[in-house]
Amino acid sequence: MSETSCSFEAEYFDGRSARAHAVTLHIADGELHWSAESAQGRQPLVSVRWDPAIGQTHALIHLPDGGMFRVHDRRLGALWPHAEGDVLERWAGLIEGRMRFVLAALVLIAGLVYSGLRWGVPVAAQQVAAIMPAAVEATVGRQSLAILDRVFSASQLPAERQQALAAQLKALCLRTTCPAYQLEFRQGGRIGANALALPGGTMVMTDELVKLAQHDEEILAVLVHELGHVQERHGLRMALQTMGAGAILVVLTGDLGSVSDLASGLPAVLLQSGYSRTMEREADDHAWRSLNESCIAPQRFADILRRLDRHPSETGLLDSHPGTAERIRQFSHPSVC
Amino acid sequence: MTTKNSYPFSFTGTGGEYFRIWIVNILLNILTFGLYSAWAKVRSKRWFYGHTVVDGQSFNYLAQPTQLLKGHLIAWAAVVAYALSTHFMPLLGVGLLVVLFLASPFLMVAGLRFNARMSAYRGIRFDFTGSVSESYKVNLFWPLLIVPTLGLILPYLSYRSTRFVIDNTLYGSTKARYEGDLKPFQKIYLKALGLFLVPVALGVVGYLMRESSPLMAVFMIGLAPFLFYAIMLVLGSYLMARLGNLTYGGTHIGDVGFESRLRARSLCWLYISNVFLMGITIGIYYPWARVRLARYRAAQLNLQTAQSLEAFSGGQALTAGATGSELADAFDVSAGVL
Repeated sequence: MSETSCSFEAEYFDGRSARAHAVTLHIADGELHWSAESAQGRQPLVSVRWDPAIGQTHALIHLPDGGMFRVHDRRLGALWPHAEGDVLERWAGLIEGRMRFVLAALVLIAGLVYSGLRWGVPVAAQQVAAIMPAAVEATVGRQSLAILDRVFSASQLPAERQQALAAQLKALCLRTTCPAYQLEFRQGGRIGANALALPGGTMVMTDELVKLAQHDEEILAVLVHELGHVQERHGLRMALQTMGAGAILVVLTGDLGSVSDLASGLPAVLLQSGYSRTMEREADDHAWRSLNESCIAPQRFADILRRLDRHPSETGLLDSHPGTAERIRQFSHPSVC
Repeated sequence: MTTKNSYPFSFTGTGGEYFRIWIVNILLNILTFGLYSAWAKVRSKRWFYGHTVVDGQSFNYLAQPTQLLKGHLIAWAAVVAYALSTHFMPLLGVGLLVVLFLASPFLMVAGLRFNARMSAYRGIRFDFTGSVSESYKVNLFWPLLIVPTLGLILPYLSYRSTRFVIDNTLYGSTKARYEGDLKPFQKIYLKALGLFLVPVALGVVGYLMRESSPLMAVFMIGLAPFLFYAIMLVLGSYLMARLGNLTYGGTHIGDVGFESRLRARSLCWLYISNVFLMGITIGIYYPWARVRLARYRAAQLNLQTAQSLEAFSGGQALTAGATGSELADAFDVSAGVL
C-alpha cells in the first residue's frame, strides 16, 4: 500500500465518555492512523472492525478497546477493501448503489417468487412426499382427524348402514385397484355435506352427504374420487406445499413471525380451500377409471356433484375444484359395461 | 435553577434510500435460502439507527451479522419444528406453543438485553439489567389475571411493564428511571374502554329499539360491526400514541428528560394511508410506509437537559448472546414498550 496523501475527517468516541473528538484519519502501511489536537494513535487494519455505511448513513470503525470512529466519506473504504464489510455486504452494497441493479433485482424477485410458487413448491412437495415413510403419513392423518373431530361429531347413521356402505366399497375395490384406506363416518355439523381424504388413507364421509345421495352408487362415486386423493398422496403433498409457500413468504418478508401465523395446519387448509385444481383433476381421473372398471355409471358422480353444488353449506369438496359444470359434463356418461 | 435546552429528534432517511436496501435484502434472502436474513436485519437496523439523529449525532446499531446468524438458525429450526408439527402432529404443535408461552418472559429479557447492548449513542452503549424472575411476574403472572379481573388489571399491568423496561435500562453507567405514577395509565385505559363501548352500546340500543322502530334498530345493529373495526383501529392508535407519550414523558436518564407528542389521529391516518398504498402497489410501498412512520415518531420526540449530552460516561462493555433475542423476534414475543 502506498504512502497515502489522503486524509479524512472523522469523529472519535473513546467509549468511556460521550464526548466527540474531531480527528483526522489516514491509512498507511497496513495501519489506521489518527491524530487530534491532543492525541494521536494507530492500529493495525486487521484488528479494527469496519461497519460499512448503509445508504447515506455514516460508516463506523470500531477499535478493539471500545473506541469508535464515525466517518462519512466513502472514499476511505477504497483504501482498505474490508471497509465494505464481508463478501455478502460487499455484494449488497454494490447492488444498492445503482438504481438499474435495484430495478433488475425487483424483476428477478418477481420471477423467482412466481416460478417458485407455480413450479418449485409442487415439484419439491412431490419429491419429499415420495420419500416420506408411511408411518409418518399415518400419524399425520390420525392427528388431523383428532383436530377435525372438534368440528365433527359422532355419526348418527345406524351401524348397519355404515357397514353396508363399507362393504359396498370393499366389493368395488375387488373389481378395481384401490390404495389402502380406512373409512370413517362423522356428522359434519357446520361443515355440512362433505367428504375428506386425509394423509395415510383415512377418508371421512359426513352423514349429510350420505343423506344427500339418492343412490348408494353416488356415495361410492364420491369415495373413489377421495381414493384418488389417497392414491396420489395429496394430503401429504398439500401439507408440504403449504409449508413451502410459507417458507417463501418468510424469505420475502424476512419475518419469521409471519410463518407462525401462517402455519395454520392441514385440517384448516383442507376445510378452507381444499385441494388444488391439478390434484382434483388427478382424483377425478382416478374416479373415472375406477367407476368404469367396476361397472358403475360415471353419471352417478355427475348426479351427486349437481346436488352438492346446490347444497348451501358445502365447503372444501367443491371449493377451488375445476368448474363443477365442466366436471358434471365430463362425468355425464352411462356405464360402459 | 438552570434552564434546560431542548433537543429535537429527527429521522433523516428517505423511502427511496430504504427501498434499495429492502429490495437487495429480499433478493439475497431468496438466493441464499434465507441465510442472508441475519445480514438483512443488521443492515436494516444499522440504517434506521444511523438515520435517527439528536443533537447532530445518530444512534448506532452494533451487532454483527455473524453474531445473529446462530440465533437465526436456532429460531429457524424452532419455527420449522413448529410449522412441521402443526401440519404433521397438530397436538405436538399445541404443546410447543405452551412451551413458548412459558419461556416468553425469559426470551423477552434476552431480547431486551441483546438489543440494549447492541445500541449506542455517542459511542456509549445501552444495557438492560432486568431479572428473569421479575419478567415472569410482569409478563406472565400479571397477564394471567387479565381474564379473572375482567381487564381491570390492564392499567396496572401496563404501568408495571413500562417500569420494568425503563427502570432496568442503562445508558453507559447512568441508570434510567421511570418517574410517572399509575394514575395516567388508569385514565388512558378508562378512555379506551369508553371508545370500546361505543359500538357495543349502539348494538344494545338497536336491540332494545327493535319493537318501537324496527328500521332504526336494523340500521344501528348493522352499523355496529363496521364501527367495531373502525374503533379497533382508533383504539390501537390511541393506546400507541398515549402510552408512547406517557412512557417517554416519565423517563429520565440522569438529568435528561423526554417529551413525546404523538397524536392518535395522526398515527391512525398514517396506518390507514400506509395500508391503502401498500395494497394498491402490491407491497412495494412498504419501505416508504416504514420511513413515514419513523419520521413522524422521531419528529414528535425531543429531549431536555441542562447539561451537555457529552457529559455521560460509559459502563463496561458487555456482550450478550443473540439466540434468545432472535427466538423472541421469530415468535413475535416482545415487551411491547416503545
